[in-house]
Amino acid sequence: MNQYTFASSHRNVLLGAIGLGIVCLILTWMGDDAYHTRFWTNFLHNSVFFTMISAMALFFIAACVTAYAGWHTTFKRVWEAYSIFLIVGLVLLAIVGLGNYFHWHHLYHWADDAGVEADPILKGKSSFLNKNWYMLGTIIFVGAWAFFAHKLRSLSLEEDLVGNSSFKQHKSMRFWAAIVLPIFGFTSAAMIWQWVMSVDAHWYSTLFAWYSTASAFVSMIALTILLIIFLKNKGYFTVVNDNHIHDLGKFLFAISIFWTYLWFSQFMLIWYANIGEETIYFRERYDNYPYLFFGNLIINFLVPFFILMRNDTKRKFGSVSFVAIIVLLGHWVDYFLMIKPGALINRNHALGHGHEEHGADAAGHGAEHAVAHSSEFVAGFTMPGLLELGTFIGFLGLFLYVALTVLSKSALVPKNDPYLDESIHHHVI
Amino acid sequence: MSKNNHTEVIYGLYNDEEDLLRAVKLAKKDHLEIYDVYTPFPVHGLDPILGLEESRLHQAGFIYGALGTLTAFLGMSWVFTKDWPNIFGGKPYWSVPAFIPITFELTVLFAAVGMTVTFYVINGLGPGVVNNHLDDRITDDKFCIAFDKSAVNSDKAEAFFSTTGAEEVNSKTI
Repeated sequence: MNQYTFASSHRNVLLGAIGLGIVCLILTWMGDDAYHTRFWTNFLHNSVFFTMISAMALFFIAACVTAYAGWHTTFKRVWEAYSIFLIVGLVLLAIVGLGNYFHWHHLYHWADDAGVEADPILKGKSSFLNKNWYMLGTIIFVGAWAFFAHKLRSLSLEEDLVGNSSFKQHKSMRFWAAIVLPIFGFTSAAMIWQWVMSVDAHWYSTLFAWYSTASAFVSMIALTILLIIFLKNKGYFTVVNDNHIHDLGKFLFAISIFWTYLWFSQFMLIWYANIGEETIYFRERYDNYPYLFFGNLIINFLVPFFILMRNDTKRKFGSVSFVAIIVLLGHWVDYFLMIKPGALINRNHALGHGHEEHGADAAGHGAEHAVAHSSEFVAGFTMPGLLELGTFIGFLGLFLYVALTVLSKSALVPKNDPYLDESIHHHVI
Repeated sequence: MSKNNHTEVIYGLYNDEEDLLRAVKLAKKDHLEIYDVYTPFPVHGLDPILGLEESRLHQAGFIYGALGTLTAFLGMSWVFTKDWPNIFGGKPYWSVPAFIPITFELTVLFAAVGMTVTFYVINGLGPGVVNNHLDDRITDDKFCIAFDKSAVNSDKAEAFFSTTGAEEVNSKTI
């Protein structure tokens, strides 16, 4: 079976997931504060997470084509389908961008004109951290990624129909892939600064873009493994075997370690230098989010490291999909931890009971109050709650709905790809 | 592989790894006991046909690595809290994040050195060791199957080599 049909039962399950997500978003909206911060952080969190997954799929296709890689050819349609989601991600993030203009939310401190005027640091950053850059960056850069994703996929589909031994389409793909890589490298960093890092607008880290991109990379590989194993269980992808899963498992293992390396590099340099405006980011998470802060390292480093270290656990579908599920959730929590603490501080500030106000209090009881406040449990911020989980399932359903719809439009295993034969006979041990 | 000395072997040389793979398969089918197979580079798919079990070298590597982790971490913990406590940059004596890079490096060092030494010892390699090569060309461009003459008689072996297209058949005591 080389033609995937999107079974109506699967369609209904995914539509149900999307429905659940919408219900959760509505419930979040109703029980929210004046700025609907919990709603908007959940919306931003999941939009960024799945947009980055689909952007990493585009990046990885381009990297494989440029590196003359052949192992992935049998299942490259999965990545092509993932990368098409970028156009949906563009719409989702443009909604957040519009929210900056119309004050629908208070996610970003820099979007508050009066606050920026009174704040020399934000004023200094305002040539980049402003509403127009956010909106135009999202539309132009994500639009460019979506264009490249469409271009690479349509060349791949054209190759199915008219490809021959001149490999015209493949040569054209090499040209486009080489353009994607540098453009994506710079623009993805800029967009991550805008979408995620600027939630903590005073803080910055030069490693942040690498770190969050590695997080998205692992999630993309995990989601690829899960979808391929699902499709194999349904009788598709007969040419994709444990050798391909083994290589994907190696990527899951390797990029998990790479993520840990970047996480630690960012943490240790800031810890060692001990400069107040840098350490505040980790101080906040270490003090008020200790379970997530350390749990993040356990589920995203120790679990994949020790389980996937052996050869056979990377080849067995059970163990590799177990790790893929854990790591996918783990990196979703990682993004949660990038966004929520900063957004909570912004919200408290905007609602008028932030830490700054207590600092102005001359009496000692002000400081006491601030300490009591910072350690209190805030539903949906201190821990992902059921509504967060439901929203995640909704966005996952939307992502898979788009991906499977795209997947059903063409042959699952490409034809006429110069590397197809190599990929079918791929052997790693 | 270290084997007993003074084994009389008969061996055939092949020009191509595909010929070698076919020959090994045939030998297995005919129940000819192969003494050893020599190739200038790892031939893909040869190990499963020969029925070789997976190397346990990486398990040794894990143990060496874990030893390196413990040595570095416990060593630094002892030095910086008990033996010679110093304050660096206002940090506590027991500053775990600062230990991590060195712990990582010693893990890699122990695993790498330990595995290399283990590999050399298992294979009887080392400085000054003279190895008995069946033929120098098996380190260059020839692929070789050897039979122990006490297990497979010469006539049978020669017939096997001629049917599988060996370029050359020789005998040697190693």
